[in-house]
Amino acid sequence: MPSKLPILYNLKKTHFWFAVASVILLIGLVWMVFKDSSREWKGYQRRFMAYMEQKAENELQEAQKAVDQKQLEKLNADLEAAKKAVAENAKAIKTAKGEFEQATFKADNAKANFQNLKQFQDSDKYFYEEHRVAGEIEQAQSYWDKIQKREVELEQAKLELEQKQAEMDAKKAALGTWTAKETELEREIARLTRDITTVESKIKKYKATLAKEILNAPMLDFINPSLRIQQIVVENLHEDYFFAKAEKVDRCVTCHLGIDKAGLEDAPVPFNTHPRLDLFLSANSPHPMEEFGCTSCHSGSGHSVSFTTAAHTPRNEQQAEEWKKKYHWEEMHHWADKMLPMQYTEASCAKCHQGTVEVPEAPKLNEGRKLAETYGCFGCHKVEGFERWKVGPGLEHVQSKLEPDWIVRWLQNPKDFRSSTKMPQIFHLSNTSDPASMEKSNAAIAGIAAYLMKHSAPVVLEEPPVKGDPAKGQELIETIGCLGCHTVGGNAANHHGPELSGLGSKVKADWLYSWLKDPKHYYAKTRMPNLRLSDQEASDITSYLLQDKNEKFESTRAPYVKPEAVHDLALVFMTGRMRYEDAEKELEKMSYEDQLQLVGEKTIAHQGCFGCHDIAGFEDAKKIGTELSFEGSKDLSKFDFGHVHEIEHSRHAWIFQKLKQPRIFDRDRVKPYHEKFKMPWFGFTDEQAEAVTTFVLSLQKQDIPLKMQKVLSESEQETEAGRLLVSKFNCNGCHTVDGHEGKVRSIIEDLGNAPPVLTGEGAKVREAWLYHFLDQPVTIRPWLKYRMPTFGFVHEELTTLVSFFDHLSNMKTNYIGDEMPVTSQEKMEAGQQLFEMFQCMKCHKSNPDPALSASFLAPDLVMAKHRLRSDWIVDWVYDPQALQEGTMMPGFFPDGQTYLEDVLGGDARTQIEAIRDYLMVFEPGKEKEEKPVQDHPAQQ
Amino acid sequence: MDAIKEAINSFCSPVAIFTTAIFMFALFMAFPKQMTNKWVAGAIGLGVVGFFIFGMQDAHFKDIVGKADNLPIVGMIFIFGYFTWFAMKKAVENDERIAAGQPTWEKTESEEKVLVFPYLIYIEFVIALLYAAALVYWAILVQAPLEDPANPTLSPNPSKAPWYFLGLQEMLVYFDPWLAGVLFPTVIIVGLCAIPYIDNDPKTSGYYCFKQRRWAITAFMFGFWILWLVLIMVGTFLRGPNWNFFGPFEVWTAHKVVPLINVNLSEFFYIKWLGIALPQNWFIRELPGFAALFIYFILIPKALERTVFKKLYERIGAARYHILIALTFMMIALPLKMYFRWAFNLKYIIAIPEFFFNI
Repeated sequence: MPSKLPILYNLKKTHFWFAVASVILLIGLVWMVFKDSSREWKGYQRRFMAYMEQKAENELQEAQKAVDQKQLEKLNADLEAAKKAVAENAKAIKTAKGEFEQATFKADNAKANFQNLKQFQDSDKYFYEEHRVAGEIEQAQSYWDKIQKREVELEQAKLELEQKQAEMDAKKAALGTWTAKETELEREIARLTRDITTVESKIKKYKATLAKEILNAPMLDFINPSLRIQQIVVENLHEDYFFAKAEKVDRCVTCHLGIDKAGLEDAPVPFNTHPRLDLFLSANSPHPMEEFGCTSCHSGSGHSVSFTTAAHTPRNEQQAEEWKKKYHWEEMHHWADKMLPMQYTEASCAKCHQGTVEVPEAPKLNEGRKLAETYGCFGCHKVEGFERWKVGPGLEHVQSKLEPDWIVRWLQNPKDFRSSTKMPQIFHLSNTSDPASMEKSNAAIAGIAAYLMKHSAPVVLEEPPVKGDPAKGQELIETIGCLGCHTVGGNAANHHGPELSGLGSKVKADWLYSWLKDPKHYYAKTRMPNLRLSDQEASDITSYLLQDKNEKFESTRAPYVKPEAVHDLALVFMTGRMRYEDAEKELEKMSYEDQLQLVGEKTIAHQGCFGCHDIAGFEDAKKIGTELSFEGSKDLSKFDFGHVHEIEHSRHAWIFQKLKQPRIFDRDRVKPYHEKFKMPWFGFTDEQAEAVTTFVLSLQKQDIPLKMQKVLSESEQETEAGRLLVSKFNCNGCHTVDGHEGKVRSIIEDLGNAPPVLTGEGAKVREAWLYHFLDQPVTIRPWLKYRMPTFGFVHEELTTLVSFFDHLSNMKTNYIGDEMPVTSQEKMEAGQQLFEMFQCMKCHKSNPDPALSASFLAPDLVMAKHRLRSDWIVDWVYDPQALQEGTMMPGFFPDGQTYLEDVLGGDARTQIEAIRDYLMVFEPGKEKEEKPVQDHPAQQ
Repeated sequence: MDAIKEAINSFCSPVAIFTTAIFMFALFMAFPKQMTNKWVAGAIGLGVVGFFIFGMQDAHFKDIVGKADNLPIVGMIFIFGYFTWFAMKKAVENDERIAAGQPTWEKTESEEKVLVFPYLIYIEFVIALLYAAALVYWAILVQAPLEDPANPTLSPNPSKAPWYFLGLQEMLVYFDPWLAGVLFPTVIIVGLCAIPYIDNDPKTSGYYCFKQRRWAITAFMFGFWILWLVLIMVGTFLRGPNWNFFGPFEVWTAHKVVPLINVNLSEFFYIKWLGIALPQNWFIRELPGFAALFIYFILIPKALERTVFKKLYERIGAARYHILIALTFMMIALPLKMYFRWAFNLKYIIAIPEFFFNI
């Protein structure tokens, strides 16, 4: 090897660059490690620990205050004394200790000896068994001998061990006597300061120390870091990644550290407790955290542990701005399943809670569903699981009700006639308010009116036979039950039916009178029930309602319709299915009236009027709207935002905007008239639109496993069918039922005059009676002016309602009725005696005493035998307040005791049974004979 | 500022960019000495850098060019630009040396000898360190471009091929998929494999040069720069949703609508020129197309063989000549068809939807 190499290039430059490159790389590597280990969530965990430490410090002070200082001082002094005493006997204690240690050593030795022997013995037993089974008698025998021999040794070793242990225990006890006092005092002190110790250990847990920092340092944090990602693995729910399904993993709790801990309600976000621990997260709530996780309800990216990538969604622009500043938040474009903004979280309830009219504890979702039902969303949009009725009045006989001119003026903007109407505005909206479109719209409206007049059949109407008194009419409306559905005047307890305003500018007396007498005469499918009005009553109400006129509306005139506009619109409809020239020829053959008819028919088809109204010629027409069954999980790219850039690019923002301004997405678009968006404007408030948005968002395609869903039992399904009817016919407008307060109760001063509360009705009345009552109501409470209307339910509806009430009271539906209780002459007589003694008939009368105020009046007892369940009567008399809080029915048996000790041996229950038995046959001679009720409808 | 952007946007179209690129390319090949001059090349380089700096002021431009996926393509422009310049520069130097009777640059250098260590290994090591550092910094500064979980029912818009296939995807605009997706890639690979067998002249191997191989280099560089790199750049930066063309400062919107008014050669021939209806029989209908291809691929090469390329034909023989001519004409056919599209809205030369055969 040559000692010196020839130098061809100067390497100094290379050295320099080597140094530079090394430094650059080193900096890069350090930066990389630092960046990799400094994570957002660690900051949150540090802050949480600091917060908890602070909280524990406060608790510590509290705990220290709570300790009885005097007692503690005394104990400490005693302890001091005890220690002194021990020190004085140090020598003796030392000897005792030595002896104890010696004994322990011996015991340990004995134990080892015994255990060794046992090991050998067990091993030999195994070989003995093996050989014997294999038939190797000789070997087996040799093992057997060994076992026999060792058995003796083992016995001895065991005895030895026990003896040594006994000695050891004795020595220990001897030693203990010297320090007993001290130990006891120490225990006492510990007991006194237990709370402090607990808090102190808490502080230790949360306190930041150098050792913890070292364990949290990069590269060392695999050992036992105090900062670590927390996660919930939800076994039964899966994240669908299209090509693979993975168990749902939610790491939200990495930062939301106190979410399931009670007591942190006031902690700063994100450490605070979930606001509804009773419903969610806690182990005994219906949705424990381990089973449901977080994103199953809130959505978002459960795997992610940073504020932005978890796909948090702000509730509004303002919050978005705040987040951008505070958390450097940005929208996660690449995560489809973003978190639901807080105001829409209830949409997730429907993932598992399906098939029910209402979802418990989800008021906004329920409100949205109810609004969708009320405003007839399902008339145009198919939504799986939401088949509903047509919400508007039938127009098959409309020519007998309305003038075509009125229809034209109404359709301009229904809210001009009645601001509370549910009929939406269809024409002259933002995308059709230019003069050319308005011309076409007016032609279309004229066409609709013409079509409806021609394609509706007249009905026979009756003029009011007597002169009506408006004042009486008003009184009737306010007292007999109209307010159970309608808003009239200032009485706005219900908005179920149309507000009864401006009728004088709408209908004629003959129509209104005939309608009031029998709504089904005009429209067979109407939900309006029959209040069984007399001719006089109907005339009074008619005259009252017709008094109210809408002057402003009356002053409007139907707009002029250009024949060319009708022609042009007809042409547009016709060229849809034929060539232009053929259409022109066809149109030339048609009269103006025919053209108008054509425009009317096509417009009704185009706008889907038949979604809410029954219209002749559209019996089998298909819904015109987009199917919304899975709208909540529809891909965002399928929502057409058009040129509307000022709203957030999200599902909920789009739906909300569409509800508020249905035509907004046509803005700045060039579109022919008949291709423009046609969803009408309902005039929703922000709150309403938010509720409906929640509902629409809840319509999702889901593959939640069955066991995670709320599956309805048969009886629950029947209950839900009943709930739907209750909603359809607005039972809740008058009655308190199914946990909802009767709405008219809010405007009735003396609640004794209010329609009855139906809580527990299923347990109270017999099925057969209820069936007939719902079919043909009879008077139960003679003093009540509110009338139970005749709804004209069909058989299925009647049985559904009966089952509904039974299920609400956990009763099994049984039309046969319970057996008559066996009674005796003695009981009967006692019953009658008690009946008179308690003066039952004072309140329970069929012709009530006018001197009594309404709240003292009670149902006619003559019907009790057909109406009431015998068990219920007993429970009721036993303790009325338990069944109906606040009832005026007196409790004659306080605490289940009777004060009549001489009747029936003084037994309260027997006495009540006696009253019940008497009731079952009670029939005062002067009472009018009631129409007997048939008992077995099921057999019919 | 906006006016400049507006002007650039309205200037930009596939044909403008393609034509500009061809023009620059021709300039480079015609005047290699002048174009590789450090001032000229420097000016071009600075111009490109300046354009990017100017562009990055625009939010949308920044969004597209700064996309983590697109950064390598930006790098590619500069890297290939530099190496092309470097090779051409050396070639020009060598050309001058040869003309002056001096040995080439490579020859002089290869006569010196140095030790592998430290003069090679050490320098390589330093470069490796810098390279590693660059990768680390890149990884720290630019996050991996992760997108939505792949969803088979939802294609991203635009759906783009991997960057190295974007040239082929761009060709899909002008050609039937079986041509752009199957035939062309095959021919490109086979053609590249065939190069050493067509051109087996050992002359000029081992050093940079241009004059001695003007046509070979021009043809290759045309294929590489114009038909591959430029198309990749267009595909990456200028093709947006629905594969519509967007200027560099134009916002990508999926709602952009452009008229599709392309017609087939048969329609030109029968309807526009002869004024008669299209024949029912597909063969008669597509006869003009067959004729055009026959003229282009058979008659013209035959004519060239006897006239312009007579010497070439004699030198390399019939087999090589025909392969060379077939490959070259195919390569030229590509821009030709593109220009026909831009000039006449020509859709297909032969269109037989009866059995999905289009050229």
